[in-house]
Amino acid sequence: MKIFSIASRNVFRNWRRTLVTTLAMGFAGFIMILFAALMQGLLQASEKNAVAMDLGDIQIHAEGYRDDPDLYTRIDNADTLVNEIRQIGLHATARLYGFGLAAAGSASAGVQLRGINTSTEDDVTQVHNHVLQGEWLSESDPKGVVIGRKLAKTLGVKPGDEIVFLGQATDGSMANDLYIVQGILKSVGEEVDRAGLYMIEKEFRELMVLPTGGHEIAIMRPDRSSDLDEATARVSSLAGEYETMNWRALRPVIARILDLADSQMIIMVIITYTAVAMVVLNAMLMSVFERIRELGIMKAVGVTPWQLMLLIYAETAIQVVMASVIAVVFGWSLSRYLEENGIDLSSVADGASFGGVAMDPVWKAYLTTEAVIIPVVFLFIIAFIAVLYPAVKAAVIRPVSAIHHR
Amino acid sequence: MRRHHKAILIITLLITFQCYPARVSFLQENDAATRRAKEILRQVDDMWRGVSSHSIITMRVKTAHYSRELRLEGWSEGKEKTLVRILMPLKEKGTATLKSGNSIYSYLPRTDRTIRLTSGMMVGSWMGSHFTNDDLVKESRMEEDYDPFISFEGERDNQQIFEFTLIPKPDAAVVWGKVVAILIADGYIPLEYYYYDEDMNIARTITFSRIEMLAGRLRPKVMKVVPADKPDEYTELIYEELELGVPIEDDFFSIARLKRM
Repeated sequence: MKIFSIASRNVFRNWRRTLVTTLAMGFAGFIMILFAALMQGLLQASEKNAVAMDLGDIQIHAEGYRDDPDLYTRIDNADTLVNEIRQIGLHATARLYGFGLAAAGSASAGVQLRGINTSTEDDVTQVHNHVLQGEWLSESDPKGVVIGRKLAKTLGVKPGDEIVFLGQATDGSMANDLYIVQGILKSVGEEVDRAGLYMIEKEFRELMVLPTGGHEIAIMRPDRSSDLDEATARVSSLAGEYETMNWRALRPVIARILDLADSQMIIMVIITYTAVAMVVLNAMLMSVFERIRELGIMKAVGVTPWQLMLLIYAETAIQVVMASVIAVVFGWSLSRYLEENGIDLSSVADGASFGGVAMDPVWKAYLTTEAVIIPVVFLFIIAFIAVLYPAVKAAVIRPVSAIHHR
Repeated sequence: MRRHHKAILIITLLITFQCYPARVSFLQENDAATRRAKEILRQVDDMWRGVSSHSIITMRVKTAHYSRELRLEGWSEGKEKTLVRILMPLKEKGTATLKSGNSIYSYLPRTDRTIRLTSGMMVGSWMGSHFTNDDLVKESRMEEDYDPFISFEGERDNQQIFEFTLIPKPDAAVVWGKVVAILIADGYIPLEYYYYDEDMNIARTITFSRIEMLAGRLRPKVMKVVPADKPDEYTELIYEELELGVPIEDDFFSIARLKRM
């Protein structure tokens, strides 16, 4: 206890140096918390856009469908399979895909027709919350369709406008009908933005003359922290001969980018904290050299080397605690602010995407407990490593030469 | 060394000039053959069209997934204008396709809309058959898009035939690497067309059969397309009726007219 009162007295004796050291550490901690929160925000947004908008965690296809998306390559028992997967506690939905031409006025564009069951799809993906203009599909209005934003631009349509679909049904006949644009989606991903045309499953089946089966089953874990590989294995055993893949296998590039973000974070921490370590080392070394005579006298009156070391560590600890308070207060509040408001990048990066995944134009932070704790813990570790040399220096001081030190 | 080079250059020039008259005569000869080939091809192109035509056609399509039969009514004028209307089945009755120059318009009675097909749709199937929309556009332009030469002339399978090889012109926008056409020498009646892709692998075969009297002369009534990669599938066109030289009004091949039919 006595050591702490001595240490605190020492710390505030040269308050300017203490202030500079504390502020340097506090600022580094603050930057790290903010950086971690922003990084987490970017990762969450990317993973959300990659997985929650369209892909889902796991997908099932008939063998060969992914290489050649043929109208006839179907999962025959899609509905039964969806029910079985839902029974093991995962969200699942079956989807239908077709291709054709959409025309409005004199404009036309190739489209990817997506027949979905809104009641199950809305559990799996967030696309229903991602409508830019108008409204999401409703089962009561089979002629209402929702389209991607770039497609809307190409066709020059807005909610309420008519579009004509023209394609070929499974029986070789012409699939043709008139639809009303009910909603236009925000940026979801390159494929959907450019060519996505969503309609309800019942209407799709009628239009394309496809009474049974499905082209894809998308599955989402309700608990994001549960093990993806384990869930994939469980789904795979239900799916039998059909091809089951999780999103990491379906989109390896995105998975790699997201993995790399974690190691980027570690590299950032190391670089910033190495600089902080230098500041701490320098400050504490200065304070030891400055007090060599005083430390020598302390030793002469019977203070042990361990006690001296403990004293230097106590002085450092006081400063790190103050720095941590600064870091947490500022880092937490700014991160919280950015969690609500985000950084608006729409002027520089509107509609940007990487690996086919659309990025949100507003970069929001996401504050996790780790994002606060890890920088603080690291600050303590780094400071204690840096102060080892000055502390040992003080501990092994020889009283006689120290007292005569000039 | 330098003198050596000069000598070689002079010799090369001499040889070139000496050969020159010979090459000219070869070109002229080739020209005559080409002209003959082109003339025959033109007659074949006119087989079903003439100046103008009106026809009733049954189209049978068989694929791994469906079989269907359509009854079509078609009109044509010159090489650039074609209009085809579906008479049967009921679901697609009234659907009409207008080809005018390089564009294809589709009138869709179900939605009462006319759509101009985009370039991306050109490789798509026409009415679920093995013909693409592009085939409709390119149908009668063989003579314009290809350089023909007679690659065989004589007897084969007890018939006097011509075998043409058609090589696409360097600037022609065609998808085929080459086309081989076999005609009966007497009357230039087509028997078989072989279409090769750009790697010179066979892509599809068109076989002509049931050579009967039609619109005043012998013509094959049935035309059957078989894709090389799916030998079990086919599209068959059967000419039920054919009239040539029918009078057709000036504004017949127009978008406005598509709807009114």
